[in-house]
Amino acid sequence: MHTVPHTSFWIALLVGIASGSVGPFILLRRMALVGDALSHVALPGIALALIYHLDPFYGVIVFLIAAAFLVFWLEGRSRVPPDAIVGLLFTASLAIGILMIPNADVVESLFGAFPTLTLPLLLAILLAAVVPSVLCFWFAKRFLFLIVSPDLAKVHGLGRGYDLALLLIFAMIVALGIKLVGTLLMGALTIIPASIAKNLAQGMRRYVILSAIFGGAISVAGAWIAESFRFLPGPAIVLLGVGLFVLSLPFARRGMA
Amino acid sequence: MTDDTVLTVKDVSVTLDNQPVLQNVSFMLKQGEAFAVIGPNGAGKTVLFRALLGLLPHTGLVEWRRDVKIGYVPQRFSVDRSAPISAMEFFLLQSAHFWRPNTAFTAQLDQELTLMGLDRRVLQKSLGELSGGETQRVLIASALLEKPSVLLLDEPTAAVDAGFEETVYALLHRVQTERGTALLLISHDLSVVYRYAQRVLCLNKCVVCQGPPVEALNPQALATLYGEASFYHHEH
Repeated sequence: MHTVPHTSFWIALLVGIASGSVGPFILLRRMALVGDALSHVALPGIALALIYHLDPFYGVIVFLIAAAFLVFWLEGRSRVPPDAIVGLLFTASLAIGILMIPNADVVESLFGAFPTLTLPLLLAILLAAVVPSVLCFWFAKRFLFLIVSPDLAKVHGLGRGYDLALLLIFAMIVALGIKLVGTLLMGALTIIPASIAKNLAQGMRRYVILSAIFGGAISVAGAWIAESFRFLPGPAIVLLGVGLFVLSLPFARRGMA
Repeated sequence: MTDDTVLTVKDVSVTLDNQPVLQNVSFMLKQGEAFAVIGPNGAGKTVLFRALLGLLPHTGLVEWRRDVKIGYVPQRFSVDRSAPISAMEFFLLQSAHFWRPNTAFTAQLDQELTLMGLDRRVLQKSLGELSGGETQRVLIASALLEKPSVLLLDEPTAAVDAGFEETVYALLHRVQTERGTALLLISHDLSVVYRYAQRVLCLNKCVVCQGPPVEALNPQALATLYGEASFYHHEH
């Protein structure tokens, strides 16, 4: 297979930017753990793809989009406590995935790896990462309206369709990052850049821009550290991000903990 | 519906979880009037508002005048205080240009800020930094941006520091008289209702009384509304 040089860095950059772009909306909607839940659902998808000799990415994307619809449906039902159901269902999929995935592929599925891709697949993934980033900026106002005052947003004609759109964008980004960062850690990549930016930014517009920049920078730097020291990329990226988050804490504005 | 009727509500009922929370509520809102809805906690006041705004399923008729523009003022922001969202960005949610505001919008915003007695500096504050009084005035100013013909306010002074309540009502009264905006407001403050509302609706799941405050709010109606116990209590 002919692979493209610097594949991982291009993926790290664009997936990082996408994660950073969606992160602020996910954090403000208090959906930080939904990313973890979603990424766990990817495991059975990876397993099925491996069984049928497909690229795991296809299994991941199908399972994540289904999971996004499921979370959306659960959110709309006020009587069931969605957190418990989401927690149970998604740990179950983690368990099923681990049982189904061949031992040789388990570590890579959980913690990510440097992907080797053909040029067409690389380009497809890069394009697929640009689209949700652009959509985050395009829909920023509407997503924010639904966060600041859902009732007021509905009076202005913004319906639950935008909640679904946010979930699908989120699922798409998680799916794209799983190859590099792994199913266990991808959820963290979606919230770390936003958590750092939240400590530094004044105003939502700067918050989203800063978060996107941090997302790209942390992913590329983490991937570079991992390659230099022969670590797995997922843990390197996440630990670098958490380190920067700790450094950003003193800048958090007072009374805004 | 006559010409000066902005809203007609007829036999509106709401059932939540098989429990009737609102039964056969009927009233009319006229152009430019201040109409207060009062009642004890759990009387269905907010439910009524949500039904009027189409946010809750209901039976009966809710008919807004065709050209009506509704401004809704919620009690507070739903976002937590740490969110880095500036007051300016909250206003920009209603602008077509969120990322790069245009001058026409900022000019109109200035007008509403002046009417609400707010300084431009408030725009740079984050939503969590606003005081209760500032929050309420920002919410009202935002609702006024679209020049509504009706303003719906759910306890506009619930989160306002004591002393500022009067200011908020005085500002609302100004909006009503200067722009002819009808006010439909939930209130728990009877003195405000007496002073500012032309008509009042007493609600306790169903309509208990209705009319001009001095006539409608007679001792008998208030006793039915809040229970005899509260009056017994006052005598001690």
